[in-house]
Amino acid sequence: MIRFALNKGLAALLMLWIVGTIVFAVLFVVPGDPAELLLTSDGAVASQESVESLRRQMGLDKPLITQYLDFLAGAARFDFGQSLIDHVPVGKTIALRLPRTIELILAGLFLGLITGIPAGTWAGLRPGRSFDRVVSAANAVLISVPGFVTGTLFIYLFAQVLRWLPAGGYVSFASDPLLHLKLLTLPAITVGLHLFSIIFRMTRASVLEMRTHDWVRTAVAKGLRRKLVVRRHVVRNALGPIVTVVGLQMGILLGSTVLIEFIYNWPGLSGYLVTAVQQRDYPSVRAVILVVSALFILINFMVEMLYSVLDPRIRL
Amino acid sequence: MSRALLEVTGLTKSYPGSGRGIFRKSRVPVLRGIDLCIAPGEVLGLVGESGSGKSTLGKTVLKLIDADKGTVRFDGRDLAGLSKEELRTARKDMQIIFQDPYASLDPRKPIRAVLSEALDTHNLHTGERREARLKELMDMVGLSPEFLGRLPHEFSGGQRQRVGIARAIAVEPRFIVADEAVSALDVSIQAQVLNLLADLRAKTGISLLFISHDLSVVRFISDRVMVLYLGRVMEIGPADDVHFKPAHPYTAALVSAEPGLKPKPGRVRLTGEIPSPANPPSGCVFRTRCPYAMDACAAEVPKLRRLGKTRFSACIRDDIPTGAQ
Amino acid sequence: MPFSRFSFPRRLIVASLLLLLLIGSMFAAPLLTSADPVQIAVSKRLAGPSWAHPFGQDEFGRDRLARVLYGGQVSLTVAFLASFIAMAIGTFIGLMGAYFRGLFEFIAMRVSDVVLFFPPILLALLVVTIFGPGVSTMVAVLALLYFPSFSRIAYSETLRVSALDFVEAARALGTKPRRIVVSTVLPNILGAISVQFSLTAAAAITVESGLSFLGLGVVPPAPSWGQMIRGARGFMEQDPLGIFVPCAALCVTIYAINLFCDRLRDVLDPKGMEDGKDSVSPAGRQTAAPAKLDTDSAAELRGLTLSLNRGKREAPAELVRDITLKLRRNQCTALVGESGSGKSLTSLALMGLLPSSIRPSAGHIAIERKSGAAVDLVSLAAKEAEKVRGDDIAMIFQEPMTSLNPVLRVGVQMVEALQAHRKVTPEEARNRCVAALDRVGIPEAEQRFDSYPHELSGGMRQRVMIAMALLCEPKLLIADEPTTALDVTIQAEIIDLLRDLRANQDSGLSMLFISHNLGIVADIADRVVVMYSGEIVEEGPAGDILSDPHHPYTRALLESMPSLHEEMHSSRGDRLGAIGGTPPLPQARPSGCAFRDRCPDAKDACAATHPGLYPSQDALRAVRCIFAPEASSFLKEACDEPCVA
Ligand SMILES: Nc1ncnc2c1ncn2[C@@H]1O[C@H](COP(=O)(O)OP(=O)(O)OP(=O)(O)O)[C@@H](O)[C@H]1O
Ligand code: SF4
Ligand code: SF4
Ligand SMILES: [Mg+2]
Repeated sequence: MIRFALNKGLAALLMLWIVGTIVFAVLFVVPGDPAELLLTSDGAVASQESVESLRRQMGLDKPLITQYLDFLAGAARFDFGQSLIDHVPVGKTIALRLPRTIELILAGLFLGLITGIPAGTWAGLRPGRSFDRVVSAANAVLISVPGFVTGTLFIYLFAQVLRWLPAGGYVSFASDPLLHLKLLTLPAITVGLHLFSIIFRMTRASVLEMRTHDWVRTAVAKGLRRKLVVRRHVVRNALGPIVTVVGLQMGILLGSTVLIEFIYNWPGLSGYLVTAVQQRDYPSVRAVILVVSALFILINFMVEMLYSVLDPRIRL
Repeated sequence: MSRALLEVTGLTKSYPGSGRGIFRKSRVPVLRGIDLCIAPGEVLGLVGESGSGKSTLGKTVLKLIDADKGTVRFDGRDLAGLSKEELRTARKDMQIIFQDPYASLDPRKPIRAVLSEALDTHNLHTGERREARLKELMDMVGLSPEFLGRLPHEFSGGQRQRVGIARAIAVEPRFIVADEAVSALDVSIQAQVLNLLADLRAKTGISLLFISHDLSVVRFISDRVMVLYLGRVMEIGPADDVHFKPAHPYTAALVSAEPGLKPKPGRVRLTGEIPSPANPPSGCVFRTRCPYAMDACAAEVPKLRRLGKTRFSACIRDDIPTGAQ
Repeated sequence: MPFSRFSFPRRLIVASLLLLLLIGSMFAAPLLTSADPVQIAVSKRLAGPSWAHPFGQDEFGRDRLARVLYGGQVSLTVAFLASFIAMAIGTFIGLMGAYFRGLFEFIAMRVSDVVLFFPPILLALLVVTIFGPGVSTMVAVLALLYFPSFSRIAYSETLRVSALDFVEAARALGTKPRRIVVSTVLPNILGAISVQFSLTAAAAITVESGLSFLGLGVVPPAPSWGQMIRGARGFMEQDPLGIFVPCAALCVTIYAINLFCDRLRDVLDPKGMEDGKDSVSPAGRQTAAPAKLDTDSAAELRGLTLSLNRGKREAPAELVRDITLKLRRNQCTALVGESGSGKSLTSLALMGLLPSSIRPSAGHIAIERKSGAAVDLVSLAAKEAEKVRGDDIAMIFQEPMTSLNPVLRVGVQMVEALQAHRKVTPEEARNRCVAALDRVGIPEAEQRFDSYPHELSGGMRQRVMIAMALLCEPKLLIADEPTTALDVTIQAEIIDLLRDLRANQDSGLSMLFISHNLGIVADIADRVVVMYSGEIVEEGPAGDILSDPHHPYTRALLESMPSLHEEMHSSRGDRLGAIGGTPPLPQARPSGCAFRDRCPDAKDACAATHPGLYPSQDALRAVRCIFAPEASSFLKEACDEPCVA
């Protein structure tokens, strides 16, 4: 077990380093001068001075290897330099905004899990019955609706037509807890709905598969109560695949909440990122992507650990 | 003895151990110094329990898997010395029949394509003679030529196995490895396929390496039988002798475990597990389950001792009350 | 079966039509509307639907219908082009990586690993930062995002396919590697690749529209759905149609692709569609007459017929026909026959564990409980049946590798079996289970109690299964081919163990032992029942049946076993007594005697009557053949009747 964790941990660190290197290198892969490239966004021609000053600001005048080592050392200290636009340290902005993104994802995950797993189990145990038919058909539609569409429609329906909830915005929990939760509701449901569709589908398929295994027959032949058979020999076994899928989705969500935060004006990483991309604020973009990928790698590592607890065969 | 068609010396093969990354375990030895030879027209039977390395041996002598050490000579030529192209051509003479009748045929290819592909590979019976040859092949394995256009899923297990045999004999090989070729079949079908192989052998004088875990099937079809345990040869000799008068304690146990209608005299029952190939016992690999084991058995690996003209056994004791005396 | 050669799969028709309709209407946009998608008419901002503009006009007064249609062209082109490039590159790398290893393998696995560790949208944003937005950036980004999943799938599918014997056979034939890849491997991985293609196309549309929505995808004024939603957002209170139209177009398109993908998967892998065997809910279905038992039997089947429901179109198939079987108390009855003859179904019916698609269409089942009462587990209410299973009757299965739950410790699985029927403290339960493990010859039972199944060998697992089955001292044990998956020496040990356990259980143990090997049966059974094509064809005391079979099938079975013919050898010209042909499918049995077309003794009369199971004079044995000695008295009676003669 320790050996397994060590192995996976090392692999995660290695991956982190590779991802960091790529994020660093992308700018230099493109032919031409990086500073000039960043300044000539819409075909505009940049003046010589502005290119020079950008070069100095980004440290592009130093040798490449120094830049690389500076970048790695900085990243390890959570120091990503300053934004090209507002000159605020990028690390600081991320530290402020990342927790909000995580809050949104966790809230969505919570909703997705408490609805998706029971519904998926129920449908998987009784395939073809009415519950399964209705939810599966609805889910096929749900899975085809991108998150930003759901979000837009929700705002129209709940904020503008019904006026139940605010259309978007953010206040900190400390200053107004109730409003904070109200503002969280729609974005969280949007994320949750997306997760529901994936968790439901996965759980259903997994339960459907598990229940055909020989050991389930053994459990029934032992005279176990049906509930126990389902809990211990079907759902328990289905958890492994579900955890893997949820972990993968978390990683993808880290990226796609960008859209949802954007729609609801939720000031997580995304607003920052979108502006940074539009203004080609490379240091900020690079930092956000690195941090998010690191989180993804961490989640993946945790998923692998959890899986090995759920399924002892993995710990080889 | 006539010149051997296939001659194998000191064949050794190991697989990478389990585990990934920097903690990979050391390699697992599967074959550990196998010698054997097969004469033209001879059937050599190979028995052993799972994990003994039977399939690996079958594939290594065909050079479908590369051995770690040892040589395989086919018709006097060392297969390791051949170029890729030469090996491809040489494959015409050595073929294989597989265990699983469902995995051994491409579900998308009709039987005609399966057999034609074999002939195309070695440019045999091209043009007009092709159709006649296909019919002849179907005839030889007892299938109606009408079936040529059918897809594998339209056949039963026994029929698929016949198609597998037809594919192997299509190129007129001189040697075939039959790896558990009848193990997946029901008894009545198994008998059909065994008879078919026996007829083919009688008609064409082909040599066979017949691999099976079923001792009586091997005895029925083979001239000589070789017994494998954890990658080592335990005993080798004429089929009836090995079966009725086993010399090695392991063979004796195998024979006695074989279910039959009549109770067997001198019942030998083994206890304990087959050790993992990853850490086999020192000395005689069979010693952890051998009823006659003594301290000396752990000391060194017993050599194959000659007991008769073509009879060998790898046991250091000669005072064992088995059938060989 | 995947594709019957020339017909288009029915399940794909609806999805394909929907998809074609969508794509067709987008690319036929010039025919459907004459409006120009980029023509601005500021005075008509947000105008409602009219004849000229059926979907109204947008915030710049542009025709919405035209924008949706032309926007669809852009979205679809970007998505399909990107998916296609990703597929071509990914498949090539994966295929090469798996088949030729080396550098390709490294790229296929490692490079994809890295790409997969960037959340997709973020990777896209990174590239957009460098290159700026635009259609070609979009295609490049999406191809980069999705090629790893193709190379992964191609890699693992190729590994799977190359491990199959038919690829090995092609290598053994000396076929050139390039030809093997193209003509054998590729066609067999194409199914998985095409499913991945539709998945990718749907995902690519989502990402493309998302980026366009953020203003980082398709550059205005070129229309795209994401952009339309972005534009209409500010005005959705006045003009909800502005978001509905592009949202609907986007969702319907993704839905159509997803639908196509699901159906394609079903067609390629039909087993996912079947209900499969469901052992969780073997609920009671009908209430039969109360079960009754003879005084000397542990269980009885009377005239049991099991039918497979084959949907509305086809008549149910009778998998097992008219089985009358008496398991005598404290005896071992063996059920023998070839695969598909109905042995396992018969035993599952006794346990009340029939799959949900199979039900008893006639006959009675009765099992004796410890209390002496007789029950029928198939029709018993689920709650009651739970009390009987494991306590009065227990079962062990063929595959020791899969019969134990791999994620639970052996001890946990044993204790739950005990606790299902007995009130015991955890400590006591542990002690009893360890003792049971010890009794079935498991060394170091204390430690094995805490092992996971994968830490035990096949033989050990089968011992665990036996220990678990006997925990509550059942009266009847059903063993379904318990040694088939084991090596001969281990098989002999398990058979010995079963024989000893039967002799030593003080409360008495009746057994139903299922096997296809007559040799094993001779070793353990008191009575033998031979099945063929769902029917009992012969039964009687083991010794009599095996030494003097009366049914041609039993005789042929014995003839075909090499282990029973030690005097024969192939090199001396001996041939085994094989039975020609193969057993018939249950829905296509020949009229009259089911064994007729393979029977060496068949006469015309065999086609006319379906033989009964004729008992011998002393009622000890019975045979289903009109020419068997047992049948003569019956048939003479029949011939006495004038109408037959
Ligand atoms: N490609 C492989 N990689 C790793 N180990 C392998 C591989 N192929 C076979 N082995 C291992 O080598 C050993 C011998 O394998 P082989 O299939 O030759 O045995 P066998 O006697 O034919 O077994 P069985 O009767 O079960 O088919 C087994 O322990 C098996 O797990
Ligand atoms: S060498 Fe020893 S252990 Fe090996 S078979 Fe002979 S007696 Fe048994
Ligand atoms: S009834 Fe006729 S066909 Fe059937 S077993 Fe008897 S002889 Fe053969
Ligand atoms: Mg094998």
